[in-house]
Amino acid sequence: MAHDHDHNAPAPMVEEVSDFEALEIAVRELAIEKGLFSAEDHRRFTEFAEHIGPTPAARMVAKAWLDPEYKKHCLTDAIAASKAVGVDWLNPTGFGTPSDYTDLRVLEDTPTMHHVVVCTLCSCYPRPILGFQPEWYRTPNYRRRLVRWPRQVLAEFGLSLPAEVEIRVEDSNQKCRFIVMPVRPAGTEGWTEDQLTEIVTRDCLIGVALPKPGVTSNIPLPVHRAAKPAHH
Amino acid sequence: MSQHDRTHHAKIATGKGDPQCFKGTADGPPKFKVGDRVRIKHLPDIFYTRCQVYTRGAVGEVAVVTHESPAPEDESFGHVDHSEWFYIVRFKQRDLWPEYPEAFANDTLQTEFSERWLEAA
Amino acid sequence: MAALEKMHAPAEMAECAANWTPVPLLEDIKENGRVWGELADQYGVTNPDPPWKTSLDGMCEALAAGSCSSVAAAEKRWLAGEVDRGGLDAALPLLERRWEEDELSATLYQDVPFPERQLLSLVHSMIKRGLVNEDDLKKRISEVQTRLSAT
Repeated sequence: MAHDHDHNAPAPMVEEVSDFEALEIAVRELAIEKGLFSAEDHRRFTEFAEHIGPTPAARMVAKAWLDPEYKKHCLTDAIAASKAVGVDWLNPTGFGTPSDYTDLRVLEDTPTMHHVVVCTLCSCYPRPILGFQPEWYRTPNYRRRLVRWPRQVLAEFGLSLPAEVEIRVEDSNQKCRFIVMPVRPAGTEGWTEDQLTEIVTRDCLIGVALPKPGVTSNIPLPVHRAAKPAHH
Repeated sequence: MSQHDRTHHAKIATGKGDPQCFKGTADGPPKFKVGDRVRIKHLPDIFYTRCQVYTRGAVGEVAVVTHESPAPEDESFGHVDHSEWFYIVRFKQRDLWPEYPEAFANDTLQTEFSERWLEAA
Repeated sequence: MAALEKMHAPAEMAECAANWTPVPLLEDIKENGRVWGELADQYGVTNPDPPWKTSLDGMCEALAAGSCSSVAAAEKRWLAGEVDRGGLDAALPLLERRWEEDELSATLYQDVPFPERQLLSLVHSMIKRGLVNEDDLKKRISEVQTRLSAT
């Protein structure tokens, strides 16, 4: 997002209005006129969508790794603990959003237990602290397969765990929302909160990856077409 | 009815959140506690449910007593005058899926139910 | 244990849910609309999402906020015998919308990338439930395009 005020060329922009863009505007206008929702609500939720991202959740984990008291707070009252990373789950309405509710739980991994989160019903996700779901999380392919073949699905993400490690799938089907607190990896001794935050990627917070020194981005999965799930 | 529902919800929930706004509204204390063995009932699905079919009839253990809230079966219709306790129930994967490998006998799955779906096992 | 196919939706829900037949207006957009991937490549824009994505997400959230009351209102009319089962479908709760999106994403809109697919599925569900009229929508799209290209 360049905002140069000198003689450099402005950031490129798409110069045409696509049919999709026109469709979104048109259906929104008609919906507001019909009273399906108010313009005010739409504006509020759009601003919410523009401001959320995964950094607060990453920072929550980094802080917890560095401070045992804060870690306890995360495990007993994650909604309150969210404030320390700048997230107020009551936003933007004063009582939360209709999809995210206000009951966050942190799932603590141990050396013998690894958590991974899914919502089989629809793709519920802790958006206020983690941002939007990746596309793969929304697909029936992930939702239907993770609960039944978790080790196969995790292997597709490049994560294989020995049999002695219990894999615990959390199917978030009600109002609770979950993030995974991975085990702090070796090789991070003496790191700052910022350095630790960088390696806790969104994929680690869902549970399909483990944090590693030097790895600061999510797994680049090719975007699959949503196909009927394979039956093994 | 529509505007009243939304204004009412805003009134009771602002500053508290949802499900916090339903605290204290269940008929009594939770029927089950952490560690209790429970079975997921086979209740008829009317219009709307959040109880996954793959859990019906399965036996697990209460892992967490989470909160009070109207059950989604009622809440989606705006019937929010009755709350239930909610529980995260943990199952062994091999109790959910017949072909789950014995090699991974420690693997578990947990998910959340309102009290109406649970009976002592 | 239960069959994988019946992960969630009870049979009645699938039957009385939105009609799966194509909507001509949306088929036209599907065939002829330019998706963000194409546009971004052409104009050299690196943003992974189209500019309307957050507005779409805002709309889904705003609809969810309204849906509880509309389901209740629809159920009241159905119980009173004022509408048939189809009238009950006029409301659009979150789960139904997502399951329709799943189904439509695997069928009619399977070749459409995300998030265009999410947009088409949402509008499809709304049209089938009578929340938005296809002709009104067609007219409004045309007005919007005129409005936005005016210099």
